[in-house]
Amino acid sequence: MKLDSARDLKHQLTRTLLHPLTSGREALSLALAAQPRSDAAGHHRTIALGVARKGRSGFHLAVRVQRRELENGDEVERIRKRAKGEVDVRYVGRLVKRATPWHQKENRPLRVGGSVGHFRITAGTLGCFVTSRSDGSTFILSNNHVLADENRADVGDAVLQPGAVDGGKRPGATIGKLARFIALKKMAANVVDCALASVDSSISFNASNLDGLGAFEGMGAALLDPGTEVAKVGRTTGTTRGRVTAFELDNLIVGFDIGSLRFDDQIEIEGAGDEPFSDGGDSGSVIVDADRMAVGLLFAGGDVGGANDRGLTYANPMLSVIDALDVDLLH
Amino acid sequence: MAATLEQARGAKDEALKVFSRFAPVVGIGIARVGDGYGLKINLREPPDGKLKLPESVAGVPVRTEVVGAVRKR
Repeated sequence: MKLDSARDLKHQLTRTLLHPLTSGREALSLALAAQPRSDAAGHHRTIALGVARKGRSGFHLAVRVQRRELENGDEVERIRKRAKGEVDVRYVGRLVKRATPWHQKENRPLRVGGSVGHFRITAGTLGCFVTSRSDGSTFILSNNHVLADENRADVGDAVLQPGAVDGGKRPGATIGKLARFIALKKMAANVVDCALASVDSSISFNASNLDGLGAFEGMGAALLDPGTEVAKVGRTTGTTRGRVTAFELDNLIVGFDIGSLRFDDQIEIEGAGDEPFSDGGDSGSVIVDADRMAVGLLFAGGDVGGANDRGLTYANPMLSVIDALDVDLLH
Repeated sequence: MAATLEQARGAKDEALKVFSRFAPVVGIGIARVGDGYGLKINLREPPDGKLKLPESVAGVPVRTEVVGAVRKR
């Protein structure tokens, strides 16, 4: 079915079929331990509804059953009939909150791949550490849209680790200040989305460790052939692996808050196995090759495409990034 | 059929013009084709199924992929 049809059906069924199932009276009919009713209504296990892809262009209802006895029960059968069989029913059991991974927590010393961001944004990724070619001072490298809020920040603004969405607040989480950024252009092609933040002298950092990969080995080759295996450590998806699918990608149109911007000379990457290479919040991650040498700066992605159809990720060539900012990688 | 890297680079502008008639082009890059190179054209949405997309431009092989919308991450 079409996406709009699947969404409409999901909303109808949630209102007419699932809401009564989770109301207080129905909740009490299940074998729950003695606890406040308000808690029980919100926490007993039933059925979750969503929308999932079916093939490359269609959609169907995702039905996630949390109790075995509901799997072949009346409710699922009614959902199946209403959706004319276009359902994907799976038993998922009891779901528990996952422990927060290190890359979404406070990291002292600072780590490559951790959550970071300008105080007004949610969070992105601390890509790596760099040194100025002119005076040798040390900076954090990430994207303009992570450290400079898409040109809207002022040099000197606070940068937080972790980023605000991960609980970072001023002044406790302030680790440095926005130092420099390459402005994103609306009327011409961009090549980089990058910025630097200073690191307060009281904050220690580890520039060399790439979690799960090994030691960072510095700058990689300028030309990145399709098929090259790559990896990154990011704030949202942690350590992931992928492969280059295209290079020198021009006319890449990327949606930003300030509008749709064009990028030329970009790198395209697909995830390895069944996983996407990146997700929202991984922006700013440094992408390394199999020798752990930096080849790209992650900044954009989509949810469709790639051999596993888990979406494609886009990166600025690292050589363009360090030349634009006039820095060298620290490792 | 495959092309050299220089041939693939030289066919980009023409390929952008050609494929923009079928669907919005949101990326045009260089990919591996056999032992050589070709072009990868990213389309935001599927083209009309009745239309046959070109398989090469200026002698350079072309592969298309529907990638949807791309957003900052």
